[in-house]
Amino acid sequence: MIPGGDSIGIVIEMDDVGVVANGVTLLAPVSVTTSAGEALVVRGRNGTGKSTLLRVLAGIRTPSRGTVRVAGEAVAERDRGFRRRVSAMIGLPPMAADLTVLDHVTLVATTWLDDANEAAGLARSVIAELGLDALVERFPHELSSGQTQLFGLAVVLARPFEVLILDEPEQRLDPEHVEAVVRVLQARRDAGATLAIATHSAVLADRMADQTLSLDTAA
Amino acid sequence: MNGRSQAAQRIWRARHPRSRGDRLFVAYAVLMVLLIAIAPVVRAVWFSATSAVGVALFASSAASGVAVLITAVLWSGALLLGRDRGPALLPPFLIHALGTSDLPRSVVLRGPVLRAGALVTATTTCAAALVAGSLASHGLTGALGLGVFVLTGVVVGIVTTVAWLAGQALPRLALPIALGVIVLGVVAALVPAAQPFTPWGWVGVAYPGRGSTPPVIGLVALAAGSIAVAPPLLNGLRVAELIAQATRWESASTFAASLDLSTAAALYQAHPHLGRRLRAVRPARPLWARFLIRDAVGAIRTPGRLIAGVLALAAAGTLLTLALTPAAPGCLLGALAGLLAFAGLGPLTDGIRHAASVASDLPLYGIGDEHLLANHALFPLAVVVVVLLAAAAICAIVIGVTALAPVLSSFALGLLALLARVGNALKGPMPPALLTPVPTPAGDVAAAARVAWSLDGVLLATAAGASAALTVGSPYPLIATAAFLVSIGVHRWRHRR
Repeated sequence: MIPGGDSIGIVIEMDDVGVVANGVTLLAPVSVTTSAGEALVVRGRNGTGKSTLLRVLAGIRTPSRGTVRVAGEAVAERDRGFRRRVSAMIGLPPMAADLTVLDHVTLVATTWLDDANEAAGLARSVIAELGLDALVERFPHELSSGQTQLFGLAVVLARPFEVLILDEPEQRLDPEHVEAVVRVLQARRDAGATLAIATHSAVLADRMADQTLSLDTAA
Repeated sequence: MNGRSQAAQRIWRARHPRSRGDRLFVAYAVLMVLLIAIAPVVRAVWFSATSAVGVALFASSAASGVAVLITAVLWSGALLLGRDRGPALLPPFLIHALGTSDLPRSVVLRGPVLRAGALVTATTTCAAALVAGSLASHGLTGALGLGVFVLTGVVVGIVTTVAWLAGQALPRLALPIALGVIVLGVVAALVPAAQPFTPWGWVGVAYPGRGSTPPVIGLVALAAGSIAVAPPLLNGLRVAELIAQATRWESASTFAASLDLSTAAALYQAHPHLGRRLRAVRPARPLWARFLIRDAVGAIRTPGRLIAGVLALAAAGTLLTLALTPAAPGCLLGALAGLLAFAGLGPLTDGIRHAASVASDLPLYGIGDEHLLANHALFPLAVVVVVLLAAAAICAIVIGVTALAPVLSSFALGLLALLARVGNALKGPMPPALLTPVPTPAGDVAAAARVAWSLDGVLLATAAGASAALTVGSPYPLIATAAFLVSIGVHRWRHRR
């Protein structure tokens, strides 16, 4: 289940947001708004601040200037409502060495959904969408780097959200699996979720972007 | 050693040539460490060993059986250790360069094995000399008994080294052999009549003051046989496994040198391979039961770790009960119990470490961080309470003391050791303040603070064990340790991101 946001409202608002640490500019000031059911694609060379921007949006990095709002509220990663609204993968999520792929995805789903059958069904469907069916009984250390990337995506997709934040979801994936990820993300966007994706993949950007924010020009 | 191997190792050693001044400084530093840190400890150990309590311990009727058991545990432990980190190890590149050449591995790897063997043999010999010397100092054994037991220490060291190498060369056989040695070791420890028929039993026969004929020929033959099988074992080592062990050891050493001991230890944590079809997540269960089952199934998937953890907890409960008996060295046994409780909780607290990792990262679960941590604490809490209390109660019944104090002390120790584990999981990077040097005439004391910070979980669990052993006399040390553990945990929780 992916509850959609307000279909006409603005979901992501970043106004003159910049990050400076120890005198070094990590993110030059940027402003952007994204509505429900849209995908914002962030592009730029290495070091231009793509991941920093996503961290600010996910509430794990405080901007040095500007304001950020998600669904009209200030970002606050410790706020339960914010956590329910936003799912993010910036780097791989923490994994438990003693759980299989299916265990991980099901456990995450069961902590978000009250109905056990619904949680199990969501876990299975996400796994199937990402083509991980054959790997459900594997432990994390038994996955290749590309499989681990897909597994990480499955973990953050196995829950309800209004905003999905992904940092280079195409990392370590072959073209066939990049296509699979595009299809999965398009389905989430079409269901009403708002996406913010940083990527170096032209395929992902071309197929997903409702608007593109280039940090090369911002920097 | 073969000339080509020597030449290669000479080039390797010449990477970082040391000036004469550097070498003198190293010699000075070693001498200072020996005088300031090692010598007082050696002196204290000798005085403890030769005190009335120490001599009574070594002269007790159970002492030779304990020596047999320790030997069996040492040899089986060496076999198991070799599977992950054997004595035949060089830096990864050197292993690659020499291991893929046509040089015999018995030549290439002789040096590291001899160095490891010298260290192990020196340790076992010193331990044997300490025991025999303690007894001789009170006239409980003569020069012959002392000499034979020191010789026994040498043999135990040699066999330990070869068992360590055997574990590295034959990793699959090592586990069943180690289990067999442990089982037969327990039998030999409990049945003195069986001791002359097993190599570990010979240690019991040679124990000073027993009055039995020492099996000198058997011991010498055992040492000679062990040395003889070392070259074939070395030649049987596979280069891929050698490189894997060397690489892992190099990474672990790097992490340990930077005092990141958790990461260093995690490199040696067993990966699960069993029980992948067990349902770890039962969505229909209440949330607390879901996490309890998930953690229990997770632990079962590495059964060796789980069994080791439970045995360590049982030993902790037993030691704490013994610590509470009159005339026992309560503080020492309690500290050992704390150490074992902390170690035993390691395999049971993977869930807590995962919760701490999630709590310092992006939100993943649909429950709060506090709730997640509390749910993951249920499984280790249940196991530690059941195992520690059962071990304490059984031990109290066996030795004929009232079970109330041991059970209550064990309960307190279990809780505090779990708190120490939670604090350890939440530790995060070292506070920058500790990196500031604090120069004194004795050196940089901030180094000691950094070591204490990196080992605080172990040290506090050890303190908790010692305090728990003193609860009958005074509860204040235990209360102080608990307050310190809670304050550390709360501080780290608040600063987890």
